[in-house]
Amino acid sequence: MSQRKRSKGLGSSQLTGGEDDFIPTQVERRSQDQVNQKVSELVQFLLVKDQKKIPIKRADMLKNIIREYRDAYSEIVKRADRTLQAVFGLQLVEIDTKRHIYILINNLPRPEGQHLCRDKEKEKMGLLLVILSFIFMKGNSVKDSALWEFLHLLRVYPGKQHSVFGDVRKLVTEEFVRQKYLETTAIPLTDPPEFKYQWGPRAEKETSKKDVLNFVAKMQSKDPTFWASQYSEAEANKATT
Amino acid sequence: MSHTGNSGESSPASRRRRRSRPPHAQEDRAEEDTAEEETAEEAAGERLRQLDIGDGDDREHNRMIRSQYRELISTVQQNREAMLNSKSNRLTEALEEANRLFDGVCRAREAALDAQFLVIASNIGKEKANELHSEMSAFDSTAFAEDLLTFMGINRTEVEETDDSEDVPGAFLPSDAWRTMGEEASKYFRRAPTFHYMMGSFKSEPPAPKQRIERQKKAGRGKAEQAMPAQLKKMEESHQEATEKEVERILRILQTHFENDPNTPISFFDFVMDPNSFARTVENVFHVSFLIRDGLAKIKLDEDELPIIEPIKPSEGGEEDSRAGVRNQVVISLDQREWKEIIETFQIREAMITPLYENTEEEMETE
Repeated sequence: MSQRKRSKGLGSSQLTGGEDDFIPTQVERRSQDQVNQKVSELVQFLLVKDQKKIPIKRADMLKNIIREYRDAYSEIVKRADRTLQAVFGLQLVEIDTKRHIYILINNLPRPEGQHLCRDKEKEKMGLLLVILSFIFMKGNSVKDSALWEFLHLLRVYPGKQHSVFGDVRKLVTEEFVRQKYLETTAIPLTDPPEFKYQWGPRAEKETSKKDVLNFVAKMQSKDPTFWASQYSEAEANKATT
Repeated sequence: MSHTGNSGESSPASRRRRRSRPPHAQEDRAEEDTAEEETAEEAAGERLRQLDIGDGDDREHNRMIRSQYRELISTVQQNREAMLNSKSNRLTEALEEANRLFDGVCRAREAALDAQFLVIASNIGKEKANELHSEMSAFDSTAFAEDLLTFMGINRTEVEETDDSEDVPGAFLPSDAWRTMGEEASKYFRRAPTFHYMMGSFKSEPPAPKQRIERQKKAGRGKAEQAMPAQLKKMEESHQEATEKEVERILRILQTHFENDPNTPISFFDFVMDPNSFARTVENVFHVSFLIRDGLAKIKLDEDELPIIEPIKPSEGGEEDSRAGVRNQVVISLDQREWKEIIETFQIREAMITPLYENTEEEMETE
């Protein structure tokens, strides 16, 4: 008896609250077991989808996992997030509230000592951090020509195959952009067309301006306050997130 | 001419359309004007109002103007980077040049080129403004790059031999450079570790348990055979059974000796000791222990408190003795010194348990 009441409550809450673009066709009786099952499936789905670090679309979640449980969608997602946090120490974050796109980030404080991840991943993170610091220190937006000129100094060339990164141009302009670490926009009225690079939403969530400034300061053996305006911007940024 | 900057098209039709709008109506580009931009726009506006759209009979003149404009545009585009340099005045110079050219314009066609130039010039002006307005404190990216290379472990003393002319000569970047950087970088990201199955997918194998059961049955059967009196012939050779064979042989020796002289118990030491080999002595003790364990022989102490050994008749064996006689566990330790002492004390000259193999040179040495 109580089970039935619970699920009905679930249904009705979806009707009143919840998302606007959802029209639950029928408030079906959902047993807790069935919902639990869906939550587990969603958790697994998210973990596997996250392997390539490409943000996950809500549409994919609905099509592959939620399916006929659309009316319980928010409940399932909320609980999946709770499971991810409690069991894996990960967090489900929406990076695009309009198009409903999600990523998984790490909730745990960063451990000291060696990180257990594949070398390839580590190397890419190294390059990414360097790029992100450059962008931030240069005013949050750089032209692609400026970026490549900087990477030149680090023996990374867009036209040449790199011994570690392979096709660097592809890595930067496609992979990092698709993963939402970087965002690229065309500069208008340029011929040939030029692009500018900024931090992507994943970068905003996974790291912060303050962290990046600290990295730069560490590399250059200076105090972060050395760069006054970047420092105050980083402090302001920290306050809002 | 309003600086709209929304599309780069410079077709005369669109220019005419734009010209019809009041010159001071500007689309918000959210950029502050620099002095240059204001000058350019004001001048353009003025000129526009003064423009006299005539027939333009002088074709030669007009063609020259057009070519000059095109040259100016091309120059500006190609030297874009140079113009962006805040120290350079080249943009202002280009604008003044265009201003001068405009004096000779009297037709829409040339004016269109002038408009095209203006769009490009304003764009550059905007970029220059951007760079001026940068609120960021000066950041030396070259120094930063050097520091990064240092962190990655660059060796500036060695000269690397490469066929690549682009590489900076005189410095060697190790192969794990980016891994080092990545190790540091991972501290700054809250990146979710990627999820992978450790052992791959599970594949069950039903045949395995069956084999185990078969082996156990075999082992059981073997033991059962051994419990019977030793005359049973063994069909197979195996490691285990080598020991058993030896144990058997020893039992037979014991029984033979006892048969010959049933009333004299055999001293344990006499029986197991091999004065020629310590190793074999130990092995004999080991094998005798099997006999004791299986209830085929027994060791007891005689009046002098010395151990004696005698076989147990199979008919007698079993329940009587095991009830009456206490089954004790004894641990015997024997080292080479003790072994020598015993041989001396008991004057053991030869082994009762004849060795299986001839003495090798090596064995001789261990004695």
